[in-house]
Amino acid sequence: MQQTAVLELTNLRKIIKGKEIVKGVNLTLYPSQIFGFLGPNGAGKTTTIRMIVGLIKPTEGSVSICGYSVAHDFVKAMSNVGCIIESPDMYKYLTGMENLLQYAAMDKTISQQRIKDVVEMVGLQHRLNDKVGTYSLGMRQRLGIAQAILSRPKLLILDEPTNGLDPAGMTEFRNLIRKLAYEEGMTVFVSSHLLLEIQQMCDIVSIIKQGRVIKTVNVQDILHDTQIEWQLSDPERAILLLAEHWNIVATQLKKNTISADISQHPLDKINEFFIREGIALTYCSTKQNTLEDLFLDLTEGDQIV
Amino acid sequence: MFSLIENEVIKMISKKRLMFVLAILVVLISIFAYGQNQTLVRTKAQLSQRMGITATDDWRKLADQQLIDMKNRLDSPYMDEKSKSSSRVRMEQLQYNLDNNINPLEQSAAKFTTKFMEQAIFLFLPLLIIMLSADMVSGESSNGTIKLLLVRNVPRWKILLSKYLTLVILEVLIVFLAFVLSAIISGFFFGFGGWQAPVATGFKVLAGKLDSSSVLNVPQWQYSLMVYSLGFFVAFVVGSISFMISILVKSTAASIGIIMSTLVAGNFISFFLSDWKITRYMFMVNLRLTDYLSGSFQPIEGMNMLFSITILLGWAIASTIISFVYFTKQDILV
Repeated sequence: MQQTAVLELTNLRKIIKGKEIVKGVNLTLYPSQIFGFLGPNGAGKTTTIRMIVGLIKPTEGSVSICGYSVAHDFVKAMSNVGCIIESPDMYKYLTGMENLLQYAAMDKTISQQRIKDVVEMVGLQHRLNDKVGTYSLGMRQRLGIAQAILSRPKLLILDEPTNGLDPAGMTEFRNLIRKLAYEEGMTVFVSSHLLLEIQQMCDIVSIIKQGRVIKTVNVQDILHDTQIEWQLSDPERAILLLAEHWNIVATQLKKNTISADISQHPLDKINEFFIREGIALTYCSTKQNTLEDLFLDLTEGDQIV
Repeated sequence: MFSLIENEVIKMISKKRLMFVLAILVVLISIFAYGQNQTLVRTKAQLSQRMGITATDDWRKLADQQLIDMKNRLDSPYMDEKSKSSSRVRMEQLQYNLDNNINPLEQSAAKFTTKFMEQAIFLFLPLLIIMLSADMVSGESSNGTIKLLLVRNVPRWKILLSKYLTLVILEVLIVFLAFVLSAIISGFFFGFGGWQAPVATGFKVLAGKLDSSSVLNVPQWQYSLMVYSLGFFVAFVVGSISFMISILVKSTAASIGIIMSTLVAGNFISFFLSDWKITRYMFMVNLRLTDYLSGSFQPIEGMNMLFSITILLGWAIASTIISFVYFTKQDILV
């Protein structure tokens, strides 16, 4: 990892009307990272984001973007940020293009060519000259993303970005985010309550609950020590073999299905072993909802603040 | 800064609100001009019928008759002191017109244009300005677009200043168009001339008596220019105040409601609470600046042109300061 942090939050706190919404959040993000900010409704996600972009002032603590303090060096800090906060609010009485031109006028570094490129990147070229009032939510999301990345920010902040996107749009969006992060070196900060979304897209996830970050995990790590399900011809023998040769405790789920936590053992070697032992393997999958389990474990039974 | 103002102007034009305001202006001026024309015709007919003459061009006779009418009314025991002294002021003006051969009945585009602003300055013009200004910040708050403006690499005060300057540009535009439109529209009714005709100004009311020591005649165009300058000043003051309310209140409907009811209340106050001294520090009762020029009677004792302008300027400066301080400090939660 590189030395310079793109985003650094130090003991960020916010009290609104006597209620502590955010209770001391610390976070450091580096270039090319896709960060997921996960939490139930009312956990303080949006409040934290608003403090990052300077819409509200922290009660305590500081935000620095690319080394510039948002409180003291607002203009320089903001030059490195593109964002969508909560919903992609646009001027409904302007066309998509006119909306983008409004933003371009505020930043001299944006060229006509850049606008054209970005519009093609988000796939909006056909409806660009229609009024935004006639757009669907998904199209407004695309336009929102377009305006956020227009100035090639180092930090891209997206609050609930896939709201209103159809499945194809979501895949497209994921690919776009990966491209921005891994090819253009942007750090992407995605907030969501959609677990699958975060799991499929992010490298690092922080789970926030009642204004506190309760866990920060590397998504790859939790996906690796995952539960495996096999559908095979002889489940009883498979369970025995797993216990004998791999020291793995497996349980039978359904008639032909067994499940086990394989921890560090390589899945391909186990599968190879089954076949060598003459067990026919019809289906094998990793259990996809690990993050969800973690999330529910951590946030279970809590009231919305 | 220039591109920020350009942005604001583009938004204002696209919202069609400006076109709506201009349409109202055209319709109202047309109705007003038509009505003036009808009144003029009727007054002439009435007077000539009463006096038994047909030569309505002899305005001196009509003016004499008006003087007599007013004198009769003055003698009536049912008239209160206040209307009596204001009648007296008007009579003395009429007398002055007679002495200096200024025809008060003669109507022209120039006269109408001036009169239109004199009538519009305390309610209609402010309403037009409010329609544009009350939405400028609260509109962005209720749409949520304010967030997009404030997370750019532009400091907040610059965003607000660009909006404020756009408002000033619009105020100039509205007052200028009010002038041009009423000059053109009324020209079709009364002819396009009259800009050189002399107008008496500089009347002073001292203890209910008209003091004509400083009265002088200025050409109509010059008088008109003074009236429209005062119109712009009022537009500027009302614009600043409603701009502030549009920042303090997050919803457009609430902000228009607050400032409009304040204005209308101002009209009530000058009628019903005129002996309550503190009301003269309210901006709403100080809007009739043009009345000081023509020498009409002021609503509350102790007010004069300088006083009103100072009060209005104070309101404008105070609201601008509050606007900027609040806007740069506030937490955006929409």
